[in-house]
Amino acid sequence: MLLDFERVWPSVPYILEGVQVTLAYTGVSLFLGFLWGTCLALFKISHIKVLKWFSSFYTSVFRGTPLLLQLMLIYHAIPQLTGYTISVWEAGILTFTLNSGAYISEHIRGGINAVDKGQMEAALSLGISYPFAMKDIILPQAIRIILPSLVSESIDLLKESTLISVIGGADILRRANIVASEKYLYFEPLLIAGGLYYVLVMILTLGARILEKKLKTS
Amino acid sequence: MILLENIHKSFGSLEVLKGISGRIPRGEVLAIIGPSGSGKSTLLRSINLLEIPTSGKIFVDNTCITDKGANIGKLRTKVGMVFQQFNLFPHMTTLENVIYAPLKVKKMARKEAEILGKKLLEKVGLKNKVQTYPPNLSGGQKQRAAIARALAMEPEVILFDEPTSALDPEMVKEVLEVIKSLAHTGITMIIVTHEMGFAREIADRIWFLDEGHLVEDSMSQKFFKSPKTKRAKSFLEKVL
Ligand SMILES: Nc1ncnc2c1ncn2[C@@H]1O[C@H](COP(=O)(O)OP(=O)(O)O)[C@@H](O)[C@H]1O
Ligand SMILES: [Mg+2]
Repeated sequence: MLLDFERVWPSVPYILEGVQVTLAYTGVSLFLGFLWGTCLALFKISHIKVLKWFSSFYTSVFRGTPLLLQLMLIYHAIPQLTGYTISVWEAGILTFTLNSGAYISEHIRGGINAVDKGQMEAALSLGISYPFAMKDIILPQAIRIILPSLVSESIDLLKESTLISVIGGADILRRANIVASEKYLYFEPLLIAGGLYYVLVMILTLGARILEKKLKTS
Repeated sequence: MILLENIHKSFGSLEVLKGISGRIPRGEVLAIIGPSGSGKSTLLRSINLLEIPTSGKIFVDNTCITDKGANIGKLRTKVGMVFQQFNLFPHMTTLENVIYAPLKVKKMARKEAEILGKKLLEKVGLKNKVQTYPPNLSGGQKQRAAIARALAMEPEVILFDEPTSALDPEMVKEVLEVIKSLAHTGITMIIVTHEMGFAREIADRIWFLDEGHLVEDSMSQKFFKSPKTKRAKSFLEKVL
């Protein structure tokens, strides 16, 4: 069997445009998921029972059900329940944010617990309020500690964002599939898509390694 | 002035403080000594409410800080603390460590705060470590920076919890010198310490704690010359 890249060649720019789409889903959801995950983590360590209960129940639901199911539920259930026609983009961002928030919150909680208790005591003893102490003293240290897990979380999300193609999001995978069915060539476009994902993951990994080194020396 | 009225503190079923009462006049230097596990740290940490007493009352400047509605934040700006483990913020430079609270809590202007911070760091002998991060400081330097950080809030009281116990022996002296330089400058100092020589030299008053009781409250000279209680006597014999 021979690979026929020549016939796919004109469609490569079209597939490449999917990189932006994939990165947009990953980046935006990661950012929002990080904020939401931080809130959830703060709920988990708070002394307010309702918040504690809510956040641990929330986390167990989002970790305990398939992401694809969550995506489909949100995409199909929201119009049916609220009458609002949700776009593919909105459904994707919402699902990935809610889902990654659950995972990230566990990391952040672990990070906060790993910061020496004396740090909060020192901050409080200076009259610094709990919110400021959290934001400026504890969280920066916690995030440094969990940086490797956050990177692997973002790599997971990058790969899982391919699920958006199931509901029609024009990401790398979906575009490769479209090219494939147009040209009746499956192997080549998928190979290109696979290569692109691999390169993106490698760039992320490398970037994280450099960042970690930098943090270690500072 | 600080007033303690019948302070009790339990952790679960373990009663650590068993009714402590006492009075510390403004500007006085008090050393709290006693066997390990006797409740010294717990008592000290009650004064800035890092531990909440199970019962009893604490007054700082005639304000009852153990009341329900007490302003804990305001209390803590008046009562600084220096920890055994320094607890500097490792992701901030020495200067940022010192000026963070004045900036955020006192809303001091940055320029003014930096001038204050540099002045304090110079005072504790860290003029050339202003931009250094704590992991790159020696133990003695860390503790001196932590003292500067506490001073930056211009507290009326400073609590020291075994400030030299985590230090290599050769660094103890430089920290004790800095603490000595603060004594009798108007600031009230409460120092938990195992350094008996230091306590004897610097303290006006000694509290000897044993098993959660304030067994002896004496002026320093008197205490070291002739302790009133047997327990204090045998403790001194062991440590001196
Ligand atoms: N947060 C805590 N929880 C449970 N027990 C504690 C806690 N803090 C201190 N203790 C206990 O209280 C007793 C007195 O401790 P502490 O005040 O640190 O003594 P000291 O400073 O005199 O060595 C010890 O038995 C210690 O184990
Ligand atoms: Mg102690």
